[in-house]
Amino acid sequence: MKGQIATETTRNSTNITNMLAISFRKMLQQPVYRLLLWIAGAPFMIILWIAHRIRLVKENRHGVSSLILQELQDQGVPEQLEQKAREQLARKHAFFQTTIPQEELEKEARSLAQIRLKEILAERTHEDGLAPSADLASTYHRLLGRPEWIVLSVLLGWPLYVLMALFANPYLRYVLERLVMALGVIIGVAFLVFTILYISPMNPAASMLGETATAEQIAAFNQLHGLDQPYFIQLWHSLKGILTFDLGRSFVGNESVTTAMANKFPVTLTLTVISTLLAIIIALPIGIISATRPNSVFDYTFMFIALLGLSIPNFWQGLIFILNFSIKLSWLPATYSPGNWLSALMPIVVLGTGFTASVARMTRSSMLEIIHEDYIMTARAKGLPRNRVLWRHAVTNALIPIVTVIGLLFGGLLGGAAVTEKVFNISGIGSYIVDRQFIPDIPSIMGGVVYTAIAISIVNVIVDLLYAFIDPRIRSKIKQN
Amino acid sequence: MAVHSLRKSDIQFRLKSHSEYMQASFAALASAGLAVILLASAYSGDGFNQLLAYAGYAYCGFTLLQAFIWYRIRQDLIRSGSISPYVRLLGYPMMLSFATGNVFAAAAAFHLVKQKKHTAYTLSVYALLATLLVIAVTALNMLKPYVANGFIFGALLLLLAAGLQLISLLLASRLDEGRLNPYLMWTIIVLQCIAAVSGNLFSLFAGILLLAKLRNKGYSAGSRFGEVLERISHNMAAMLGLLFVSVLLSLSITSVLTFDYSLAIDNNYSAILQSPSAQYPLGTDNFGRDLYTRIVLGARISLFVGFLSTAIPLVIGGMLGALSGYYGKRLDNWIMRSLDILYAIPGILLAIAIIAAFGAGTMNLILALSVGSIPSYARTMRANVLQVSTLEYVQAARAFGSSDWVILTKHILPNAAAPMIVQCTLTIGTAVISTSSLSFLGLGVEPHIPEWGNILKLGSAYLETHSFTAIYPGLAIILLVLSFNFLGDGLRDALDPKISRN
Repeated sequence: MKGQIATETTRNSTNITNMLAISFRKMLQQPVYRLLLWIAGAPFMIILWIAHRIRLVKENRHGVSSLILQELQDQGVPEQLEQKAREQLARKHAFFQTTIPQEELEKEARSLAQIRLKEILAERTHEDGLAPSADLASTYHRLLGRPEWIVLSVLLGWPLYVLMALFANPYLRYVLERLVMALGVIIGVAFLVFTILYISPMNPAASMLGETATAEQIAAFNQLHGLDQPYFIQLWHSLKGILTFDLGRSFVGNESVTTAMANKFPVTLTLTVISTLLAIIIALPIGIISATRPNSVFDYTFMFIALLGLSIPNFWQGLIFILNFSIKLSWLPATYSPGNWLSALMPIVVLGTGFTASVARMTRSSMLEIIHEDYIMTARAKGLPRNRVLWRHAVTNALIPIVTVIGLLFGGLLGGAAVTEKVFNISGIGSYIVDRQFIPDIPSIMGGVVYTAIAISIVNVIVDLLYAFIDPRIRSKIKQN
Repeated sequence: MAVHSLRKSDIQFRLKSHSEYMQASFAALASAGLAVILLASAYSGDGFNQLLAYAGYAYCGFTLLQAFIWYRIRQDLIRSGSISPYVRLLGYPMMLSFATGNVFAAAAAFHLVKQKKHTAYTLSVYALLATLLVIAVTALNMLKPYVANGFIFGALLLLLAAGLQLISLLLASRLDEGRLNPYLMWTIIVLQCIAAVSGNLFSLFAGILLLAKLRNKGYSAGSRFGEVLERISHNMAAMLGLLFVSVLLSLSITSVLTFDYSLAIDNNYSAILQSPSAQYPLGTDNFGRDLYTRIVLGARISLFVGFLSTAIPLVIGGMLGALSGYYGKRLDNWIMRSLDILYAIPGILLAIAIIAAFGAGTMNLILALSVGSIPSYARTMRANVLQVSTLEYVQAARAFGSSDWVILTKHILPNAAAPMIVQCTLTIGTAVISTSSLSFLGLGVEPHIPEWGNILKLGSAYLETHSFTAIYPGLAIILLVLSFNFLGDGLRDALDPKISRN
C-alpha cells in the first residue's frame, strides 16, 4: 500500500519534471525567451550552467568524440569522403556543361566532405551509448530529479517559473506576446516621431519669439524647454514622458500637454466611434445583400454609390453639407458644439462615408469568395435552408477578414479626422495637431501623434484578440505553437 | 416562338454573352442621369439658363435613342442570341451624341457598330475620343479676349493627332483577330505612336499591343499585357476611367502650349468673383483668376504628386517586401517589425508630422505621402512573394543552379506583380485625395500654385455667396479619384479572371 502511493507520487513528480524540462527546452530554443530565462532566473541559471560544464567534463564528451575521430582518420574515411564529393561535383558540372577552376572544385569538395564527416561523427557518438545531446536542458532535467535542486531552483529562480507558467498557457502567452509587441511598436513610434522632429530644420524658438528675438532670448527659450540638450537625453525625456503621461508643457500657451490631450481626445474618439458603429450597421447588410445578388440592379447601384463615397474628399463633402443643410436649408448648425447632438450629425456622416463604402465593398468581395467555397455547396446539397446557409455558414466566415479591415480603417479614421475637424471647427486632437504644426510645437505634436498611435494600437490588439476567439483556425494555431 | 420556352437563366446568359447589351444599359442610364442633372440645373438656381436647357434637351433626345437601341438589342438577344446588322447600324447616328459631350453613348455606339472587335479597334476609338475631348476643353479658350502664344500651334498639333487617330481607327476596323497583317499593323503602330506624344495613353497602349502581337508572330494567344488589355477593353467603366485620366494627362502636357498660365496665377482685380460666363467658363476667384484655367492646370500637380507618391513607395516597399518574403527568417522579422512602427501611424498624421518638421512644399508632401504608404506595399509584396516562392518553377530554377538574384527578378517578381499594380491604381486615388486634403489644411502644395486643394481652400471662404468656387474643384477631384477607382477595379477583374467570373 505504502509503496504504491510512493510510486504514484514519484510518477506524478516525474510527470511534472518532464513537463518542466520540455517547456524549458522549448524556451531555450527561442532567442527572445532564452534571454528572458537568463534574466529572470539569473542566479539559478548561472549555477545550472556551472553544473552543466562540470557534467560535460565528467562525461568526457570531448575525449570520446576525439577518440572516434582518430579511429575514422585511421581508416581513411575523410579521404574517401573527399574523393566521393569530388566525383559528385565533376558529374554535376559535366551535366550542366560548366567549367570551374580546379582549386575551386577542390574547395567545394572539401567543405562537402567536412559536413558529411560531422554527420558520421554524430551518428557514431550516439551509437556509443552517449545521450543524443548534452545540452543545458538535459542537465536541467537531470537535476530536477533531486529534491534539493528543486528547492534551490525555486528559491533562486522563482521568476523563471512564473515565466514558464506563462509560456505553458498558449492563450495567455499569445495575449502577452501581442501586448509586448504593441508596447514595442508604441516605443518605436515615439522614437520615430521624436527623431523626425529633432532633425527638423525648423526653429521653434524663432517662430515663437518672432523675428526680433535676440540670440540670448532664443538660448533662454531653448534652455527652458530643454532643446539645448543632446539627442539621447531629449529622447529619453520624451519616452519617459509618454509612458508616465507627463509630456511637459507646450510651447504655445504654456499649458500641460497631457491635460490638453485629455480634453481633446474624447471629442475625436466619441465622433469616430459613433461613425464607426453607424458605418458597420449600414455597410454590412448592403455588402451581404449585394453579394447574394451579384450583378443585379441593387448590387450595381450600391456598389457605385460605395465607389462614389470612396472618391469624395472629406472636406469637400463637409463643405457641400454645410452649403446645403446649414446655409440653404438651415436645418443643422454649421459648426460643432459639444452637447448639441444635432451639430454632431454632419461630422459623423462625413467621417463615416468613406468607412461605410470600404466596409460595404470589403463585405461584398469577402462574401462572394465564401459563397463559392465548397463547404457552402455541401451545406446546400445537404438540404439546409438557404437562409441558414447564408447566415450560419457564409456570414460568420466572411466576417473574419472584415473585422481586421474594420480595425485598420478605424485607425485611418482616427488619424484622418483632422480634416473633418477643421471643416466643422471641432476642437479635437486632429485640429489641435494641425494648429500646432506651423511652429512646430514639438511636445504637442509628439503627444498628439503618439497618443493617437497608442489608441490605434490598443484597438488593433483588441481586434487581434477578438479574432483569436472568433476564428477556430487561429485558436488551433495558437495551441500548436 | 421559342421565346416562351427560355428559362430566366438562359435569358440572363444570352444578355450577358454580349458586352453591347451591358454597355447600352450603362450608356442609357448615364445619359439619363446627365440629362436630369442638366435640366435641373437649367431650371433651378438663379433663373433659367438657356444654354444648359438646350444641352439638357439634346441629352434627353440621345437618351431616348439609346433606350430604343437598348430595347432592340435586348429583343434581338432574347430572340436569336445575336444582334442583327440593322440594330448595329443604329450606332452611327448615336455617334453624333459625342457632339454634346456624351462620352458614354458615343463609346457604346462605336462598340455597337462593329460585330467583331479587335482590341486595337476599341483602343483606337477611345484614343480618338480622348483627343477630341482635349480639343473641346482647349477650344473653350477661344472665347477669351486673348489666347496663349502657342495656342494656334498647339491646337494644330492636337488636330493633327486627332487626324492620325482617325486614320488609324479606320485602319484598325479592318484588322482581323485571326490573321496577321504586318503592313497594316506597322502603319497603325507608327500613327498611334506619333499621336501618343500628346500624352494619349490609349494610343500608346494600342501601339504596344500591336507591336507585341507582331513580335510573337501570332504563335501564341498574345502577351500577358495584351490579354489584360483585351479583357479590360470590354469593361466600359474601367475604360472611361482610363479615358478621364488620359484626357487629364494630355491636358497637362498640351496646356504648356494652349493655356495661358498667367490667367491662373496673376491677380486681376477688375474681375473678382465673376459668375460663370463665356469668357470665364467656371467663373473667377477672389483674386480675379480664371477658375477654368486654374482647374485644368491643377490637374498637372495632382497627377504629378499622385504618380510620384505611388511610384516611390512601390519601389521601396516592393523591394523590402520582396527581400523579406524571399529570404525570410531574421531579415523578414527585422524588416516587417520596423515597418509595423510606420504602419501604426495613420498616413495623414505621419504626413502632418513630417511636414511639421520639414515645412510645407510639393517635394516634402511627396516624401510625406510616400513614407506613409511603404508598409502596405511591403506587406502586399511579401505575401505575394511568399506565395509564389512555393511554386514548382521556382524550385526548378533553384535546382538548375540559378542565383537568388535571377530567381527573384526573373521568376518571382514578374509573377507577384499583378496585385501590386491593382494596389497602385487604387492608391493613386487616395494620394490625390490626401494631396488636396493637406493643401486644404495649408500643409500641402505652396498656396500660389493652382492645385485643386488650394483652389478649394480659397473657395471655401466664399461658400455662402459664391459656392461655385468650392464646388468645381471638388468635382474635379471626385472625377479623377473615381476614374482611378474604376480603373483599379477593372484591372483587378482583368488580372484575376477567377473573381470576375463569379
